[in-house]
Amino acid sequence: MNLFSRIATWWRAVAKRDELDRQVRDELEFHIESHAEDLMRSGVPREEALRRARAELGSLAAGRENCRAASGSRFVDELWTDLRYALRMLARSPGFAAIAVGSLALGIGVNTVLFTAAQHMLLDRLSVPHPQQLRLLAWTEPKEGAVESLWGWYDDLPGGGETSTSFSYPVYQQLRKQNSAMESLFAFKTLDRQTATIDGHAEAVTAEMVSGNYYSSLQVWPQLGRGIQESDDGPPGSGPVVVISDQFWTREFARSPHVIGKTIFFNMTPMTIVGVNPPGFTGAYSAQETPDFFFPFSMQPIAAPMKFGGSTSSSLLRNTNIWWVLVMGRVKPGVPDRTAAASFNVLLDAAVRATMVVKNNRQTPRMLTMDGSRGQNPAAEGLAKPISVLLGLGGLVLLLACANLANLLLARASARQREMSVRLALGAGRCRILRQMMTESLLLSLLGGAAGLALAYAVRNAIPRFMSNSWGPPAFSARFDWRIFGFAAGISIVTGLIFGLAPAWQATRVQVSSSLKEAAQTASRRQRGLAGKTIVAVELALSMLLVVGAGLFVQTLLQLGHSRLGFQPDRLLLFELQPPQTHYPGPANIPLYRQLDERLAAIPGIRSVALTSVPLVAGNAMTHTFIPEGQQRKPEGNPSVLSNNVGENFFSTYGIPIVAGRGFNSADTETSRKVAVVNESLARKYFPGLNPIGRTFEAGWNQPIRIEIVGVCGDAKYDHLRKDPEPTYYAPYWQNSNGIEQATFALATSLDAKTLAPTLRQVVQSIDRDLPLLDMRTQEEQIAASMQPERIFASLTASFGVLALILACIGIYSIMAWMVSRRTNEIGIRMALGARSQQVQGMVLREAAWMTLLGVAVGVAGALALGRVVASLLYGLKSWDPMTFAASALLLILVALGASWIPARRAAGVDPIRALRHE
Amino acid sequence: MAKDAGVDLLQGTLDMLVLKAVSLGPLHGYGVLLRIQQISQNRLEIQQGSLYPALYRLEHEGWIGGEWGHSENNRRARYYRLPRRDGAGSKLKPRSGTSSRT
Repeated sequence: MNLFSRIATWWRAVAKRDELDRQVRDELEFHIESHAEDLMRSGVPREEALRRARAELGSLAAGRENCRAASGSRFVDELWTDLRYALRMLARSPGFAAIAVGSLALGIGVNTVLFTAAQHMLLDRLSVPHPQQLRLLAWTEPKEGAVESLWGWYDDLPGGGETSTSFSYPVYQQLRKQNSAMESLFAFKTLDRQTATIDGHAEAVTAEMVSGNYYSSLQVWPQLGRGIQESDDGPPGSGPVVVISDQFWTREFARSPHVIGKTIFFNMTPMTIVGVNPPGFTGAYSAQETPDFFFPFSMQPIAAPMKFGGSTSSSLLRNTNIWWVLVMGRVKPGVPDRTAAASFNVLLDAAVRATMVVKNNRQTPRMLTMDGSRGQNPAAEGLAKPISVLLGLGGLVLLLACANLANLLLARASARQREMSVRLALGAGRCRILRQMMTESLLLSLLGGAAGLALAYAVRNAIPRFMSNSWGPPAFSARFDWRIFGFAAGISIVTGLIFGLAPAWQATRVQVSSSLKEAAQTASRRQRGLAGKTIVAVELALSMLLVVGAGLFVQTLLQLGHSRLGFQPDRLLLFELQPPQTHYPGPANIPLYRQLDERLAAIPGIRSVALTSVPLVAGNAMTHTFIPEGQQRKPEGNPSVLSNNVGENFFSTYGIPIVAGRGFNSADTETSRKVAVVNESLARKYFPGLNPIGRTFEAGWNQPIRIEIVGVCGDAKYDHLRKDPEPTYYAPYWQNSNGIEQATFALATSLDAKTLAPTLRQVVQSIDRDLPLLDMRTQEEQIAASMQPERIFASLTASFGVLALILACIGIYSIMAWMVSRRTNEIGIRMALGARSQQVQGMVLREAAWMTLLGVAVGVAGALALGRVVASLLYGLKSWDPMTFAASALLLILVALGASWIPARRAAGVDPIRALRHE
Repeated sequence: MAKDAGVDLLQGTLDMLVLKAVSLGPLHGYGVLLRIQQISQNRLEIQQGSLYPALYRLEHEGWIGGEWGHSENNRRARYYRLPRRDGAGSKLKPRSGTSSRT
């Protein structure tokens, strides 16, 4: 009852102001009339009675206000008054408002944009009901454990050994059958670059193979048709059905409902579309990328046949050696993770021993469960550190903007001292004034936050575009949801509190009596200068950090760009082919490539053609066990080197010099002995001081072959610009008995992609109508794409550095100008006593110089300490690179002194007589 | 206690007097004033300016409820009364003398 009446009366006072006012007025009027009537009854004349009644009741306005306050609306009323006052003050100084809101908008906007990207890459969860209940199964085993063949994600553990999320299909089946610790287990596996032919038109699609209980376990219901069911996942070939993604449906079928029941060819296998996934469903692997096709595991041997681990069958479902499927499950209520993992441990051990031959007492893997709410979350792995660094830098920018604002507000606060003293003298409490100042700061920061949010929304697609290749679709589309909004609001409020605190505190430390006096030159004034100078020193330190960061990352980009490639990247056009295994099983794609070699070389304008199975500087790698002649294969582990299957003209097309022996020629056929060309690093490492030509080595692990070295070539970058060339051997592609699944063709030509594309497509389709050309780009574009992260960093940190310099400039200028104007009196006295204008100028500049040196020194110390955090992101220079530090310090000192120049000149130009008069 | 215009009653005392006045039946503001004078046998004079804020404060805190009604002369007036409670009469605890700025 109590609370209800409080809320009701409070609401009436706040929301229905006019009604309350009228009510009080009516009541008071009634009171006056009644009182007057009583007086009239006792004989007082009417006019006199009314006058006395009014006088006794007191002021009507005061009465109304008191009644309002009695209803508990004081806080809201005062807040409203403060806000209106703050808005009026801001409107009166539009320059200050623009700078304040502008710098806050930039700081908050930058952080919001970075947070959007970070949220998507790191935090986004799978769009299924209750993703936090999902667990991804994983295992660990020591270095030489039972698992030998793996296709999928794995990570080396620091103490030796490895961990992985891939299981063999027979092991998965056992786990699923015997599982009692979790709600049903389901399996999936993503596939890259499959070929889909729809209405005669072939294109590349991505796919996810799923088990029959995938949809029911994830509780995902297709928006059209049905999902994959248990009946589809029976014996091989029993479920030629596919469910397509919402994006694919929009792109290919324009959201037509007639897509259900349509037959398409997936890797040459006819399959029927039975459903469309709901929008936003990205599968179970990651929350960032959406596979186009979902089909059951039962179709793997037919639609996606693969041979692994020396097996002759192209079905991976019976293969007990290769570990490749990912397994997930929902937690059973009441079963904690540790219990589940322990029970699975037992099951896993039994399953491994039942399905495969465990060699020589090797240890079987131990089970772990990992959080599955984000799937495998492949994006997080490489991105966590760079994104944290960027967020940290963004935070520094915001801190800088806050320091700037605190400074500006401090200057304004000292100008409003008289106002504060008057308020204090009239009876306002310290808390009340503090509240007013904080309201002003919070208003400013919320305006800045709103502007920053608008800015972030406007450029929300900048980061995804930044992060994607120039030839592919944008990496993701930035989504704005309530978390972003909450984040922006949160940091606005925190910044308002941070930069508002110092000025608010200063305002309440005012001594009423002394500041009300006209010519107050009390000692306390000197101290107040210190707060401003400290803040400027802090600003300079922060700017130093940002400028040094910018210098380091820009130089990293430049160093990478100029690093020695070992080959000629210019005028090389690349495209990829992935002939489906169903049509070109095993080595059947070799004749296809041979034909293409000839036909492409015949096109006018193309100087030479070379196939390479691993495109250079694309992040792809192929390794093989390598045992040089004269050494034995060791059971505990053998060295491995990088390898590449290349065409005859590879070395000439790429401009890699052959320094000894020869390249490949027509003498090397499919049936002659296997040959290879090794690079200098390999020759140095494995055949030191010897001539490797003519020597042989054994390569491969499942089916080792003996290869003869016929030439040595120069070192060239392989998969990443950052890595120095490692031992590599190049083998002719036609001698690879397994065939080349995915091939990149490099064409040396002066023509550009647009001109050549139709001709190329025609040539390829003249050989095989259903083979799409993928990823056409130049080698230079490929290299530029591999430098994408460094480029992003360099651009962002450079903008932060520029922003920091601007803010530092504004900050120093404003504090110096304010100090000079405050000390006009003092300067006048000095000049009257004989100081020359040079001396006055020098005095001002010296003060600025001290501040600057202190700030830069602290900044250098901070940059050295923090540099270690980002050292792993740099290339070609150390995190304490002296040139960068020296240049940044010099730049900052120049900017600081330049900003103080004008106030110094103004101080020197002070007219002593006017200064002494103006008190 | 003579009619001493200079005596300021503590806030709590005024609240108690208002509640006592209203406990005998619903009253409008002027009626509360008259009843208090009646109860104190015309020896207490309430500062009229602080009466209505006190009434509003008591209403805010839930001690009394207010609603519009008609006076004897059929004029509109706001009547205050104690909230209806089942069973025993309301227990009123005297407020200690805390002064609050208005």
